[in-house]
Amino acid sequence: MEEDKKKSRRKFFELGIKFGLLATVGSVAAVKAMDDEDSNGMVELMSTDGNIIQVPASEAHEVSNSPKDYDPRVGFPGKKFVMVVDLAKCTNALKCQEACNKGHYITGDNAWLKVYKMQESEKTAPYWMPTQCQHCDSPPCVTVCPVDATFKRQDGIVLIDNERCIGCRFCMAACPYSTRVFNWNEPEQPAEAHEGEYTPDYCGTPSVKGTVDKCDFCPHEIVKGELPFCVKACPNDVFAFGDKYEDAVTNGSGQTFVLSTLLKDRAGHRLLEGLGTEPSVYYLPPVDRLGSFEEGLENYSEFESVKKPE
Amino acid sequence: MKNQLKFRTVFLVFLSVFFITSGFSQEVEKAKVRLKADYVKVMGGEVYFNINASAKVNDENIKVPDLDLTIYNEVGDEKIKLGEAKTDVNGDGKLVLESLNSIKPDSTNTYNVSISFKGNDSFKRASKSLSFRDAAIEAKLITEDSINYISATLIDNSIDSLIVGALLRVQVQRLFKPLKIGEEYNITDDDGTVVVTIPEGIPGEDGNLIVEVVLYESDAFGTVKALVQAPVGSVKVVDESTFNQRTMWSPRNKTPLFMLIFPNLLILGIWGFIIYLFINLFKIAKS
Amino acid sequence: MNNYDASLINDLAPRKFTKRGVIWTSFLVILIILGIIAYADQLIKGQVVTSMRDYALWGIYISNFVFFVATSFVGSVAVAILRLSKKSWRTPLVRIAEIITFASISMAGITIMIDMARPDRLLYLFIYGRLQSPIIWDVIIIPTFLAISFLLLYYPLLPDFAILKNHFKEKNSTLSKWYGRLSLNWSGSEVQKAVQSRAIKILAVLILPVGIVLQTIDAWLFSTTYRIGWDSTNFGPYFIAGAFVAGMGALIAVVYVVRRVRNLENYITDLHFDKLGKLLVLACLIYLYFNINEYLIPFFTAKKGEMTHLDVLFTGHYAPLFWFVTIGGLIIPIIVLMFKKGRKPFPMFIIALLVVVASWWKRYLIVTPTLLHPFLPIQGVPESWHHYFPSLHEWIITTATLAMALLIITLLVRYLPVIPIERTAEERELLKNNKNIES
Repeated sequence: MEEDKKKSRRKFFELGIKFGLLATVGSVAAVKAMDDEDSNGMVELMSTDGNIIQVPASEAHEVSNSPKDYDPRVGFPGKKFVMVVDLAKCTNALKCQEACNKGHYITGDNAWLKVYKMQESEKTAPYWMPTQCQHCDSPPCVTVCPVDATFKRQDGIVLIDNERCIGCRFCMAACPYSTRVFNWNEPEQPAEAHEGEYTPDYCGTPSVKGTVDKCDFCPHEIVKGELPFCVKACPNDVFAFGDKYEDAVTNGSGQTFVLSTLLKDRAGHRLLEGLGTEPSVYYLPPVDRLGSFEEGLENYSEFESVKKPE
Repeated sequence: MKNQLKFRTVFLVFLSVFFITSGFSQEVEKAKVRLKADYVKVMGGEVYFNINASAKVNDENIKVPDLDLTIYNEVGDEKIKLGEAKTDVNGDGKLVLESLNSIKPDSTNTYNVSISFKGNDSFKRASKSLSFRDAAIEAKLITEDSINYISATLIDNSIDSLIVGALLRVQVQRLFKPLKIGEEYNITDDDGTVVVTIPEGIPGEDGNLIVEVVLYESDAFGTVKALVQAPVGSVKVVDESTFNQRTMWSPRNKTPLFMLIFPNLLILGIWGFIIYLFINLFKIAKS
Repeated sequence: MNNYDASLINDLAPRKFTKRGVIWTSFLVILIILGIIAYADQLIKGQVVTSMRDYALWGIYISNFVFFVATSFVGSVAVAILRLSKKSWRTPLVRIAEIITFASISMAGITIMIDMARPDRLLYLFIYGRLQSPIIWDVIIIPTFLAISFLLLYYPLLPDFAILKNHFKEKNSTLSKWYGRLSLNWSGSEVQKAVQSRAIKILAVLILPVGIVLQTIDAWLFSTTYRIGWDSTNFGPYFIAGAFVAGMGALIAVVYVVRRVRNLENYITDLHFDKLGKLLVLACLIYLYFNINEYLIPFFTAKKGEMTHLDVLFTGHYAPLFWFVTIGGLIIPIIVLMFKKGRKPFPMFIIALLVVVASWWKRYLIVTPTLLHPFLPIQGVPESWHHYFPSLHEWIITTATLAMALLIITLLVRYLPVIPIERTAEERELLKNNKNIES
């Protein structure tokens, strides 16, 4: 636990390269390609663990990736992140919220991921709707920011630079999903939140007084090849996360689905589609539910989303 | 009488020793560590042991980091040390072998390996033994009638025969976890082979897909994995974002042109007048 | 210059504060000091000292800011609009209008900084500013309007400063010296007069469009969001009309007080109040038209979001305030000022005060209710976050900004001739000459 938190940002970038290469050369990460192709069309490479392995030559290309190539304002190249939320499976277990609050050291009164008790009208069914930042492709929050403190990356993730934010809260006024929270006073976070150099990649480390925070789609987990906190924590596999260009999303149990098929077969939709924000979060309707809506009422507290230590 | 006294003293001594020693051991309640180990072989690649340490503390399963583990190859009565590993934050440890040849099998061509933990202040000693035979997967890409298949054959190297009725996973590598293709259960037929169709339209970098054929955590052979290059996917989109365009949500270096030109013209125009008027104040003062 | 009526100059020249003036000024200074203390506390503890939270994320700091911006429109009205229509009765009122404009827009600039949670990063607005953001448009237009309103106040003062230099030569040499410096060596020469009159022409033409753009951008801070109650195509002209009302109310109130305190009944007559009253009625009628568009028409389609907003204003939590603002701030002024008797100075003063107070609370009604009914239900936050009423810190700081605006006006009225001396003298000469010719 301590070890992990002590990882510096440098390590972060190194993981980033590892990860990027992982995508191209499978479970073997090539650091240096030696151009000696043998008779089988195989090349000898050295893996990051220092072992010599054989990889098909076609898969080994020189990559110029260096730590400098990853820019937190640009993001992971060649990807666009999307999330799928299966409303049929949500029973308000709130494990997602707990994991997100814990992982981001959220100690205020407003969680970044909230499970709403929804019911559109009297005769329509009530359901639980986990909502976090939608990372819109046409983000109204980014448009109104006067100082470029919140920005949209090439990989689709919308982040906040807490060292630039002037605290005008225009982005919060502009967001129709009410997903942004504000640090009205000095946040009381544990020492771990203050370790390492500040990067907008890991929102909440630390939270800064007088600035805005929100869900960051966990780039700090993605770089390790892991899924966001909420996706991993959900006991019902409500969340699935992935790269839209790969047409694949993976849920907490490790099952991967073809995104386009999933959305087509399960009739996915997005929140407040008519506003034209183009969110990156798709919702699957609450049909053929996993559990009853009433089960979730036990866990429901209208006035609390962040559990305080006793 | 003398005997009674002897018995009493012995009994008392025994009791005191018992209490003293139990007093010492009661100071630290050591938890039991559960070790899980798996042998993993990647065809044409690494051969390693995946170890996981967990423990039940306060009725909760926790991962145990920072455990020093030693891995031995047991041949007959000998215990040959293969290497050491230390568990990370997730309780995972890994020992990579140069090749399978660095371990010696027994007479039945079975490899016997044990992982042991000497114990420390918080945890009791533990060990886990692992036995496996060498298996191989030969996988290749076949194209027939413009349909693409992965054909994979599972072979038991220790007896040099095909393995029938084994469950193989066939999956396309993706960003987080692989995408399963084929049937729900891909079982090797009498030829020890499974043939799985690669669905069309799976995006890959330049159309290249990497398909994994995996025999997953089998009791007899551990985990065996083969990778197949399949350049039969659809060409993956590299960038569909508006990042390089001038939009209302771009950073200031990509402001839409009308936003740059029109307001700046207005500002220059009006401030031109304002500055002119300020200068005229000086003109008045001078005259 | 020396031919001017000595009594005219005597009447219009700035006078020392009476006891009342000193008490008034000290009172304002005390309020301002309290505000600074409260603001320091806000800087130390953070904006948690306000009642604003994640849902009611803007409060009276913003509605106060909007009020100041609106009131500053009076310069555009009194100077530009009246000038364009060549109304000569405006002369004794323009300086007061310019003073109010200058004070309001200065305070608008200061008030908005109070709402910023990280004022230490103020410069970022200039270094990292994004032209796509409506806040940056605001950051551009406010200094622009400030510069124009300053110049519009200063240029016509030049001849008056020269007159005052002479007036105070014996009585108060320091004051005389300062007036001298500020008059920029004004001698009334042809060259100077030409420069000055051209400058005033340019400024009078500039201030109207810039004033309109200022009000519009202020409206766009709200209507560039999706929120129900803000996302209205009506907002630009709605705010312009509102500014017209607020500005007129402020003008009438200040004119009345200045007239009383300085005994300027000969210069600001009942006729002026009559004209101002008619102008205020016009402003209120226009504003009423926009209010009907904004608050009545949505009942027709009765969309759920709109109905939540309208219910809250018409019959819900904000109903008493809404009806006070609408009836007290619009309907009653229209009715009272339709009658000649209503346009007498004292009733006008009361109505003007009512209009100003109602204008201030109107902006509160524009900002707060909308924020408390977002698209997604308010859940997962403490119960107090479902409501908003300004905290003590917010009241103290807001009152201090209003006190500072009044202090600026007070000091300017104290040291500047509130009625343009030279222009008044020239107009009287003109009248006298005309009479002579006729007779």
